Amino acid sequence: MRRSHLLATAACATLAWAPLAANAQFAPAGSGGAPTSTVPGPGNGSSGNSFEPTENTPASKSRFSGPSPYAPQAPGVNAANLPDIGSMDPNDVPQMVPQQSANPAHGDWAAYGHDDSQMRYSPLSEITPQNADQLQVAFRYHTGSYPRPGQVNKWAAETTPIKVGDGLYMCSAQNDIMKLDPTTGKEIWRHNINEKYESIPYTAACKGVTYFTSSQVPEGQPCHNRILEGTLDMRLIAVDAATGNLCEGFGNGGQVNLMQGLGESVPGFVSMTTPPPIVNGVVVVNHEVLDGQRRWAPSGVIRGYDAESGKFLWAWDVNRPNDHSQPTGNNHYSRGTPNSWAAMTGDNALGLVYVPTGNSASDYYSALRSPEENKVSSAVVALDVKTGSPRWVFQTVHKDVWDYDIGSQATLMDMPGPDGQPVPALIMPTKRGQTFVLDRRDGKPILPVEERPAPSPGVIPGDPRTPTQPWSTGMPALRVPDLKETDMWGMSPIDQLFCRIKFRRANYVGEFTPPSIDKPWIEYPGYNGGSDWGSMSYDPQSGILIANWNITPMYDQLVTRKKADELGLMPIDDPNYKPGGGGAEGNGAMDGTPYGIVVTPFWDQYTGMMCNRPPYGMITAIDMKHGQKVLWQHPLGTARANGPWGLPTGLPWEIGTPNNGGSVVTAGGVVFIAAATDNQIRAIDEHTGKVVWSAVLPGGGQANPMTYEANGHQYVAIMAGGHHFMMTPVSDQLVVYALPDHKG
Amino acid sequence: MPTTYGNRTLTEWLTLVLGVVIILVGLFFVIGGADLAMLGGSVYYVLCGILLLAGGVFMVMGRTLGAFLYLGALAYTWIWSLWEVGFSPVDLLPRDFGPTLLGILVALTIPVLRRMETRRTLRGTV
Repeated sequence: MRRSHLLATAACATLAWAPLAANAQFAPAGSGGAPTSTVPGPGNGSSGNSFEPTENTPASKSRFSGPSPYAPQAPGVNAANLPDIGSMDPNDVPQMVPQQSANPAHGDWAAYGHDDSQMRYSPLSEITPQNADQLQVAFRYHTGSYPRPGQVNKWAAETTPIKVGDGLYMCSAQNDIMKLDPTTGKEIWRHNINEKYESIPYTAACKGVTYFTSSQVPEGQPCHNRILEGTLDMRLIAVDAATGNLCEGFGNGGQVNLMQGLGESVPGFVSMTTPPPIVNGVVVVNHEVLDGQRRWAPSGVIRGYDAESGKFLWAWDVNRPNDHSQPTGNNHYSRGTPNSWAAMTGDNALGLVYVPTGNSASDYYSALRSPEENKVSSAVVALDVKTGSPRWVFQTVHKDVWDYDIGSQATLMDMPGPDGQPVPALIMPTKRGQTFVLDRRDGKPILPVEERPAPSPGVIPGDPRTPTQPWSTGMPALRVPDLKETDMWGMSPIDQLFCRIKFRRANYVGEFTPPSIDKPWIEYPGYNGGSDWGSMSYDPQSGILIANWNITPMYDQLVTRKKADELGLMPIDDPNYKPGGGGAEGNGAMDGTPYGIVVTPFWDQYTGMMCNRPPYGMITAIDMKHGQKVLWQHPLGTARANGPWGLPTGLPWEIGTPNNGGSVVTAGGVVFIAAATDNQIRAIDEHTGKVVWSAVLPGGGQANPMTYEANGHQYVAIMAGGHHFMMTPVSDQLVVYALPDHKG
Repeated sequence: MPTTYGNRTLTEWLTLVLGVVIILVGLFFVIGGADLAMLGGSVYYVLCGILLLAGGVFMVMGRTLGAFLYLGALAYTWIWSLWEVGFSPVDLLPRDFGPTLLGILVALTIPVLRRMETRRTLRGTV
């Protein structure tokens, strides 16, 4: 899923001698697998997933194991103690009225990615490359959500407000919902949902809210226009857009308990961080499941609810492909199935929702996965919103054991077809830096995709890899070539030598180096590499696609169960679990499999600097109308706030830092992006790549910016919430910029 | 009359300290470089480490040869790094910046080492 630890890195040539230390990775902890040329089948787990424990399987007695997956769900896991929601026939969903997000007003930003296409393109043009350097802060808004004394910093708000009519709607990192005056930032209403700190999973994030106009409640009545939100503690909440009051006619008094049917869990194990799309009246929810915990983690089920009443419509449960109903009694959705934590994209015309999927639970070991899971993990799945059945699946990684789960939201656009007619297309960025362009009617690639051999020496016994993996050869790869020893970097030859040894001690045969237990393996692009949740922005006028991406390899190793126990790794639902006992992106117990996983950045752990040479983050413009050529590309982010031992160097050198958070492109020809760990927001000339303006934010700008017009003037908003994993400062400030004379 | 500590001047002490630093770096290069070479990596470090080790030892002994051995290692480093990565400033930075700074300090010790040698010659201890 997402990350752990830092990736803050940097330059600064100081004559500093690292300690004379031996390579401190883990000692060999077991036997490696014999090399194999076996071509694996679709999966090793049998169909229907008979590996999954049953009610009669005795629970493990080990203090490092979680409870039986059939244990009942404890009362507090249903955070608001909501009663079960009833089901209704998807055919009875009322006809949806045209939504704001289908065709937003000129100055609005009506959905997470501006509109239903999720292009992150705004037709506003007041701000241009010529005047962007005059941008000034118009106002700031404090959400009030940040770590209090005694709380571990798990914050990364990642919020993008939406703007519809007279309101800017957003959520705090802990899911309070608010409406702001778009010209002054004054709070018009605020709905506190009283989320507990314990419910924060790996990250306190709320990427945004969804605006919905009801066909059932007449205009002028409360909840004609609604704000919907999925929360970290697994509630689906609907409030009135005008007042912020709960919509009594939705779910149980305005809320739906999304823990229903998920079975045994604890707060923070599963959570929602993305705005749910609403497609033809169906609100579709996904959720993240904390990585690395256990094979039988709660299900990654995708569900549809009626956006009017909140009633349950269907479930897509990978291992129960023909059963779309809610489990009853002591049953639950099948456990350990691939989860989807990225923002989904709706398509009213085709009646589809495009689900970017992640991986089955226990990311680095695939022998216990069912063939059904293997077909849909790390893929784009087009679900029919009438039934919850997949209409097509396009897989970006086969049998993923690298955490190359998809973090990006798909962007919808038109590609010129062979007969000159536009083809409805979908752009799917991936952490591999391979960007797939698909026909959204059938999932077939529009630009060529090649299955290329993926060498996999020394695989784990019983867990062979697939012989080939897909490569999008028609799109520029957002990656650098495979790492070499000479790519090792450092401040001096000392740390460079250290990194060279580290490189040579690891298994590495390129992007699909299989996990190993005899020694570490290098995972590049890592799980924070390529394109992540910031997604891409696309200007349909110029045909320019803007992508920011990362070059952040990881250094991983499987460990035996004994070693995992020695490291204190245990799943989050283990009664003995304490924070630090294995997290989302770092080391994980992978309880229920033979192995635990140790995950570290590929870095010099003594200086905190990445082992590979810079850049670590890039931004690229691709011309989609003329042969998918790179128009410009350069490192993104300066060394000002990064350096060895986490010290800021203050250097303006555009070294290219890791970045998280996406871009906005405007008709004015300006790209807005923060994302980099130098805590700056930039305006970039869309056509040349020149940075025409930058400003320092009060916290890390790890969020997607947005732009809107109010009172006749253009504003640019960025949540400077910071990111604990990126080690950027946390703040609770939304900062909004405008040209002079338009300050609120 | 220069400041003296025992029968050595401050600059002589600093030269000794520099020699010890170079010995430590040389040791790291030899040990780590041997490891790297055995793992199939570059042999530059182990070879350079031998030069550094020898240079540091001679510097501590107060021999001008030590400084020249270091400067030889530095020349080797520059040639090797240009061969390995070309004229790429980002890549030359870790390979050459620190060693060159150290090389400037080493060059400054040459007169000191000469003086030490001369003194020993006068005493007949060379």
